[in-house]
Amino acid sequence: MGRRHWPLRGVVLLYLGVLVGLPVVFLVLKALGHGFPAFWSEITKPDALSALKLSIEVAAIAVPINTVVGVGAALLVARHNFFGKRVLDTIFDVPVAISPVIIGVALVLAYSRIGWFGAPLTRWGIMVLFSPLGVVLATMTVSLPYVLRSIVPVLLELGVDQEQAARTLGAGRVRIFWYVTLPAIRWAVLYGVTLTLARTLGEFGAVLVVSGNITGVTQTLPIYIFDSWDQRFDVLGSYSGALVLAMMSMAVLAVLALLRRRERRLRVDLA
Amino acid sequence: MSISLKHLTKHYGSTNAVEDVSAEIVHGSLTAVLGPSGSGKSTLLKLISGLERPDQGSVVIDGEDVTDVDPRHRDIGFCFQHYAPFRHMNVTKNVGFGLKVRKRSPKEIDARVKELLALVKLEHKAKHYPAQLSGGERQRMALARALAIEPRVLLLDEPFGALDAVVRAELRHWVKELHQQIHVTTVLVTHDQQEAMEVADQLIVMRSGRVVQSGDPLALYERPATDFVHEFLGPSTTFAGEVARPHDLELVSVYQGTMKGRITSIVSLGFEAQVTVELSDGTSTWVQLSRNELASMGLRVALLVGVRRRDDVEF
Repeated sequence: MGRRHWPLRGVVLLYLGVLVGLPVVFLVLKALGHGFPAFWSEITKPDALSALKLSIEVAAIAVPINTVVGVGAALLVARHNFFGKRVLDTIFDVPVAISPVIIGVALVLAYSRIGWFGAPLTRWGIMVLFSPLGVVLATMTVSLPYVLRSIVPVLLELGVDQEQAARTLGAGRVRIFWYVTLPAIRWAVLYGVTLTLARTLGEFGAVLVVSGNITGVTQTLPIYIFDSWDQRFDVLGSYSGALVLAMMSMAVLAVLALLRRRERRLRVDLA
Repeated sequence: MSISLKHLTKHYGSTNAVEDVSAEIVHGSLTAVLGPSGSGKSTLLKLISGLERPDQGSVVIDGEDVTDVDPRHRDIGFCFQHYAPFRHMNVTKNVGFGLKVRKRSPKEIDARVKELLALVKLEHKAKHYPAQLSGGERQRMALARALAIEPRVLLLDEPFGALDAVVRAELRHWVKELHQQIHVTTVLVTHDQQEAMEVADQLIVMRSGRVVQSGDPLALYERPATDFVHEFLGPSTTFAGEVARPHDLELVSVYQGTMKGRITSIVSLGFEAQVTVELSDGTSTWVQLSRNELASMGLRVALLVGVRRRDDVEF
């Protein structure tokens, strides 16, 4: 390391600066360019607040559900052999492999009034499309695999010895999970949750397609930002919303970095 | 508690299978299941514990058929090859786990754990985590954890396999002492014949998933049923077309020997010497001599000698 790598470091820093640094700096300058009071009044507008609120609500529903499903599926994949296991494993990756817009369109096809699920649901009075429910569904779909993918390698590396030991000592499945398995994978679970949360807060494409972009009803923060910019020519509103979202995501990133460090330290401890 | 295994069979893939194994393990004994890797000995242990289910056959503990009983209800203490410590719990929590699961009172757990830590000499490490323990300490913690539930049977899978030679010998001695102290029926699996001979009072020798011979260690050593057992239980060589123990052979003058041959090498190991002889029939054998024997006989490479079994001597 040291001085010898300065050309390479310079190139990397320049590249990062152009791609990430400059835009973020400009964003901050533009959002706060008219002073903090202007920024504050922008983000406390009813539409902005309702978008922020919806984003947080969607995350509050989607993240816990995907965490429980992810942990369950990870245990299934890492600890059991069954017919169709590889198919299941692959299906979990589909949402990140294909464009979110495609997921949105697929959801519209399935849940529209003439779709397979949509027709019966409409008859019972449940509207999925153009409602917050659809937004939650789309968000859950695109953030599906992160918990599973964080846990499975850890479970495989962990092996079954501790779980089997607990079993011979008299513990049942539930207790083995709470006392032995979960504590052993807790950092991986948290890591997966953070990734899920980051993705949930930022999702745009799939949500845009299914939500119908109804201001104050189905508008999440990313869509509010786009809408302010593209439809209402409210540049300051857009910048301000973007800064809020960026700060939220960066807070999540910071937590992630802390977790990584913690996990590394833990690994060293256990080696 | 006695264990009887009746026609146990378990297949997966080709290796580690168990083929029609029947054995009786006497109450209070310390039995070693001995065999090379892939002989099915660890699988046999998992079958006894219930962590694996047999394809056929049954496991009877103290007269009760437990073949269909879940391992959590078998009251078996199982020590895993790599000890399987609960890494996020300290020594006290590890040892007390079985009692906590059994809903014993905290006071009772506390007392019992203290007692066990004294037994395995780990009182001073009570608050340490497994990562802070040495291999031998982890092993002792695993033993204490298994003993906490007052198991009917104690099963040890390669208990000393991952330890260095000195700790190994120490722990071996200690396990034997512990067994004499608490007398729980113990089955241990090992691939190390010396370990088995030293610790166990009963041996079960396995090969390719089958029991080759079982019984008292000395009896097996002296009267091995097959060449495999003979070779596996101690140093062996061939002499006059038969498997023989090198210390059962002796070197004599050319005319006194059952066969004659020429010395090709002499390796002195301090207290003993290994003399390799190329026999007149073209085969080669080696003879184990004491240092005194070697010194008094004036042996050297290329000397012509006679070889015979020590018990062939007629008075």
